[in-house]
Amino acid sequence: MSRRAAVVGVGQTQYRRRHSGRNTAELVREAVTAALTDAQMDLDAIGLVVGGVAPDALAGIDHVDMGSIARPGIPYFRVNTGGATGSSAFLAGLTWIAAGRCDAVLVVAVERMGHAVTAPKVFNSIFDPIYERDISLSTLSMVALRATMMIQKYGYTLEQWAHLAARNSELSLLNDTLESPRRFSAGDVLSSGVISWPIHKLEIGPVSEGACAMVIAAENRVGSRPAAWIRGASGLSDTYEMGSRISRAEGALVDVVTLRRCAAQAYRDAGVVDPAKEVDMVEIHAACASSESMGYAPLGICAPADGPRFLDSIVDGTARIAVNPSAGAQAANPVSATAMIRIAECALQIRGRAGRRQVDGIRLAVATGQGGATQFSTAVVLGAEPS
Amino acid sequence: MKDVHMPNDVELITIPGNWNFDYRYFAGETASRFFAELKNSRRIMGTRCGKCRRLLVPARTFCEACYVETVSWEPVGEEGTLEVFTIVAAAFPGMPPPPFVIGYVTLDGADTSIANFIKGVDLSDIHAAGKSLLSRPRVRTVFSAEVQGRITDFHFELI
Repeated sequence: MSRRAAVVGVGQTQYRRRHSGRNTAELVREAVTAALTDAQMDLDAIGLVVGGVAPDALAGIDHVDMGSIARPGIPYFRVNTGGATGSSAFLAGLTWIAAGRCDAVLVVAVERMGHAVTAPKVFNSIFDPIYERDISLSTLSMVALRATMMIQKYGYTLEQWAHLAARNSELSLLNDTLESPRRFSAGDVLSSGVISWPIHKLEIGPVSEGACAMVIAAENRVGSRPAAWIRGASGLSDTYEMGSRISRAEGALVDVVTLRRCAAQAYRDAGVVDPAKEVDMVEIHAACASSESMGYAPLGICAPADGPRFLDSIVDGTARIAVNPSAGAQAANPVSATAMIRIAECALQIRGRAGRRQVDGIRLAVATGQGGATQFSTAVVLGAEPS
Repeated sequence: MKDVHMPNDVELITIPGNWNFDYRYFAGETASRFFAELKNSRRIMGTRCGKCRRLLVPARTFCEACYVETVSWEPVGEEGTLEVFTIVAAAFPGMPPPPFVIGYVTLDGADTSIANFIKGVDLSDIHAAGKSLLSRPRVRTVFSAEVQGRITDFHFELI
């Protein structure tokens, strides 16, 4: 990176099924004001606003960001990479700082999916209308198709994912951004009913609304502000065509080649040689337990064949790395914001501002984002030190 | 100035709306030809990349990996392998009544997989059905009695 930069402000609304007490602009302003307060900055200090909103049809307002995120007198653009929207917006904001175009950027993502009376219909509309939409694909069946491959290839079991979901539900009780965290047991997951085999109802993140905002500052503007230094940040695209990604020389569908490669790039930039030994914490963007486990090996925190064993070590509390201390997207999954929240949670932990979910000694953390038909991946490495 | 008196509580207003736009999606020449072959000859065709030599199914104008135009049309086998699948067991608006199976199949001769419904699976026990499909079973292409030049003109059945 040509200029060093850090996250100096984080602001989040609560995440809940419906924010019927606020319109979209009000929701955004709440997160923005909190982020600016956290950063001890005024809006005047911001040289760029980047908005993150995934499909407009979830909110039912075309270009919902026009009236809710863009601010008069400040350059603005919007990013949409599906579930990776929030982290992609972060990467886009960072480029302006790296290029020296401004010294402080505000990145904001908002999810308004509570407006959608039939959200699954919207999720079906993201698929190719020529060859695939008629097959009734959904974002959930995409997760389930991958899960069957993870069973085939690595031997994961439905029981393991149920235990992971239960473990995350336990952690969600400590996360004060969640209005109504749900605690349940592995048995509850297994008896909650199959939505799309092998996925059970309770391992799927709930419909969530809310906004997340972050302030990124160039080194010269960090000063004495508590900072989470951006040590590495990378994003990568793959082909949309899932049928072309089932088994390739570079890796199978569930090996998430894009995530593996952008994590490797971010680690190189950060000077991380052995992530399994050096990284203190990961926030993996995954709306389901099975997709969370799909992220372990690409992040280099376990070998591919060790995935199921690594999952067990997370569940029984013996894993060296703190995995999703926020409870992850399984506790709240506001689509447009969810990948930004993963970075925000890493920044809060490094800055010692994570409240009841604070984990001691977090000095190096990695956040991921996954979007589209798992075709967009991002990896961001944050550290307590600038280098 | 004194505040105008207003009640403390307010009833939150929700304004109804809908977004029912109609569209016509232009399939383009290559997909149109693929659908014509389904409808007129009841066969599934792929296109081959001249660079990486992969046979892409369904047919594509260009290879998405090499970003070069495909060079030839070739039929693929009627049978193939079910690579990944899911059994949709809950009802969703706009979708067929559950349970139903969808999956990606690599037809014999093809280098990519194609999505479609997998029928003829005993779904009386979802978990047993799921486990039985994990073995990457062989499937056969079955055409509908009425074909209309759509991807739904065929589905797959276990052999």
